[in-house]
Amino acid sequence: MAEATTTEQPELPATTRPVATVGKATGSVVRAYAPIAVVGVLAALLPLHYGDSRSMMRLIIGGVLFAAYVVGFNVIFGSTGQLFLCVGALAGLGGYASAILSDRSGLPVVLALLVAGGLAAVVGGLLSWIAVSRSLGVIFTGIVTLAFSLAFHNLLLGQRDLTRGETGLVVDAGSDSFLGERVPPYYALLALVLAYLVIHRALQRSRVGWAFRALRDDEIAAELTGVDVKLYRVLAGVLGSAMIGLAGALYAHTEGFISPSTYAFGEVDVRVLVMLAFGGIGSLLGPVIGSAAFTALDEWLASSNEYRLIIYGAVIVVLFLGFPQGVAPSVHALVQRLRRRTSGARRRN
Amino acid sequence: MLEVVELSAGYLGENIVHEVSFSVAEREVVALIGSNGAGKTTLFRAICGLLPPSRGTVVFDGGRITGRRAHAIARRGLAYVPADRHLFPDMAVSENLDLGAYPHRPARERRQLVFDLFPRLAERSRQAAGTLSGGEQQMLTVGRALMANPRLLLLDEPTTGLSPRLAAEAYAALGALRNHGLTILVAEQQVPLALQLADRGYVLEDGRIQLDGTAAELGQNPDVQRAYLGIA
Amino acid sequence: MKAVVLDGLVLGLQFGLLGVGLTLVYGLGGVLNLAHGQLAVLGAMVVALRMDAGSPAVLAVLTGLAAAGAVGLLLDRTLLQAVYRRRGESRVLLGLLLMLGVAFMIEGFLVWRYPIESLRLRIGGDPVDILGVGMRTGSLLASAIAVGTGAALVVFFRLTPLGKAVRSVIQNEEGAQLCGVNPAMVRTLVLALSGVLAALVAITRSMTSPVPVDAGIDLTILALIVAVVGGLGSVSGAFLAGVLLGIVNTVSAHYIGTYVTTIVLLGAAAVTIVLRPSGLLGMGRE
Repeated sequence: MAEATTTEQPELPATTRPVATVGKATGSVVRAYAPIAVVGVLAALLPLHYGDSRSMMRLIIGGVLFAAYVVGFNVIFGSTGQLFLCVGALAGLGGYASAILSDRSGLPVVLALLVAGGLAAVVGGLLSWIAVSRSLGVIFTGIVTLAFSLAFHNLLLGQRDLTRGETGLVVDAGSDSFLGERVPPYYALLALVLAYLVIHRALQRSRVGWAFRALRDDEIAAELTGVDVKLYRVLAGVLGSAMIGLAGALYAHTEGFISPSTYAFGEVDVRVLVMLAFGGIGSLLGPVIGSAAFTALDEWLASSNEYRLIIYGAVIVVLFLGFPQGVAPSVHALVQRLRRRTSGARRRN
Repeated sequence: MLEVVELSAGYLGENIVHEVSFSVAEREVVALIGSNGAGKTTLFRAICGLLPPSRGTVVFDGGRITGRRAHAIARRGLAYVPADRHLFPDMAVSENLDLGAYPHRPARERRQLVFDLFPRLAERSRQAAGTLSGGEQQMLTVGRALMANPRLLLLDEPTTGLSPRLAAEAYAALGALRNHGLTILVAEQQVPLALQLADRGYVLEDGRIQLDGTAAELGQNPDVQRAYLGIA
Repeated sequence: MKAVVLDGLVLGLQFGLLGVGLTLVYGLGGVLNLAHGQLAVLGAMVVALRMDAGSPAVLAVLTGLAAAGAVGLLLDRTLLQAVYRRRGESRVLLGLLLMLGVAFMIEGFLVWRYPIESLRLRIGGDPVDILGVGMRTGSLLASAIAVGTGAALVVFFRLTPLGKAVRSVIQNEEGAQLCGVNPAMVRTLVLALSGVLAALVAITRSMTSPVPVDAGIDLTILALIVAVVGGLGSVSGAFLAGVLLGIVNTVSAHYIGTYVTTIVLLGAAAVTIVLRPSGLLGMGRE
């Protein structure tokens, strides 16, 4: 299994290292969050290049959306090892709940979003709680969450009065605001992702993060040193699910149209798994790296829809066989090793 | 029959057994004495193939078996009777026994031999192994090992969980087997029984052989007496 | 009502057979074969292609079964070796994910090359009257094959030395090794067998309704539900669960609806895991 060590973010080039005058503590805080800021700035520049193309904007909106999903999944699976095969369902819960609440009950979009995110958090927390109180291992947690995912999909299809079933739901609320335009939704979702990354980073540096690492390493030892494993697992489940649900809800309003296939297992969970595995399970920026890589890959494969599935399958096999830590961390480690070797050689000369 | 040379083995990179060397000649009964945690089970597991040794060699019946897999070693005639039995709980006593003879079938005569040796098992031959008492399970484990007509029998603390009477019975059975020509290596914490049966013995502590000698010599040894025989 | 139940029984026998393959592989090595459905479809597609090419039905069926078995064998000898090298949850997770990848590769390949292919075996003859219900010959033959295979499996596992050797590895792998049983060989054999069983289910299914090329995922989910409810690792449990769930399936689909039916089946699996993880006849171990 991929060890969920919280790998440090890639080393910063000398120019961005903070100056010591501000004080060591602040320096380390800046160091910790700087990569997120770097990612944010770079990502914010993308629309300057692609802003005119509707299809490109849709693509990168999809990319940021999935980055958000993967951060949430990372919090649940990367931090506490719970195999939640229901990311799509949680996102769909958020999406449909928010759409139905705002369109049918006239709830303001912001409120609907919060309620939808909260609903996903409750459901996710419940799933976590069940898994934890019945001591379900990886397989059973995976099966139960998969069953939930499929059942939810069928629920969406079956409850046609509420969800319009297979034909999909038009989401009116919010479409007349900035969310309905071409570029702003990207920034909305990007802001969400950056917020999630900040939360994840803060978590990693806090006592909670320490508890996560402890229980991931050796559950019994963690329990003996006073870490309430059950509580932390449920916490991770609640938080991650909230992230996923909120992202799914926001997407519904920006897209203006959702259907059960938007949030299906094959559409969401498969991609999320592969993205996280590639980027590094448990790492901070892994979700971003993975999402960027596979959004690009999807675009490249878009013309050949047929063997997209074959490629995904092959990628999964190769990834989990050859790069249990994820491709990105392995490459990073390799670069570190080369660096050490060349600097050592230089010193000898 | 069995020659162990400089064998080291352990788990997760840490050796528990360090450079152990000893031998067992054909038709001998050799006792391996040591307290809990001395490394007896680790040593046995390394010999019979359940644990890959980190160093050293094991030669059995003229052939090197170091690092070979357990089922291959079992088929060569080295039968291991583990302390934690490893029986098949949902299969009947007779089925467990038959599996012991797996590579060589048919097994009816051997089974009768085992039943003669352990009449209790004959009574319960159709019972599921998981429902047997501790002592009966122990007997079944020994019986299963005998089904393959082994050349060498490795027993890991066969008296665990047995009442003194059953333990004596078990050793009586082992004595009978020895008289039939079976070579036996037995690891024991209950030293008096083992020394009674054995020709020679080794003392294993902290993963190393500390003493060796004939059973009589070991029995007279003051350190052995103090540590294992409860004689101050 | 009788007709519905009988239909459910016919379906249930196939469900059972489907679950058996999956549960065996899990019981042996802790690998959850998420490509089970795809192996079934692979076998069915080979049969369809051979028949398209003019091969007689029986020969085509044998070819399909052999193909599925061969792929199973190949998977065990190659990819799964990496999985078996690990222990505990690490093994379970890797096995699950690798087989998911394999499932995508197989399905992707089949859908890509033969997007409109499907298997339909028409069995000639008039409907036969069973308990007052007219059963189509296709259903009867499918049921007969399922029952026959089930009986053969029972005989194999309970009475033959090799079958007992397989059970011994499931019940205690180290003990089996000490008896001279080679667990790796047993695992390869069983994975090949499960491939054959999966294909057999698809083929018998095609006797009552066509099996399309993208049926893999549904079959895998079904196999999973049956295996979980029956108790992972228990062959008789899978059969029992299969029959029960088959009847539940048809009754529910007939009187309520398809979406609810799927939810009911999924719920059965979830409830089993939460309330009684060892399933109906499982061995009460993890």
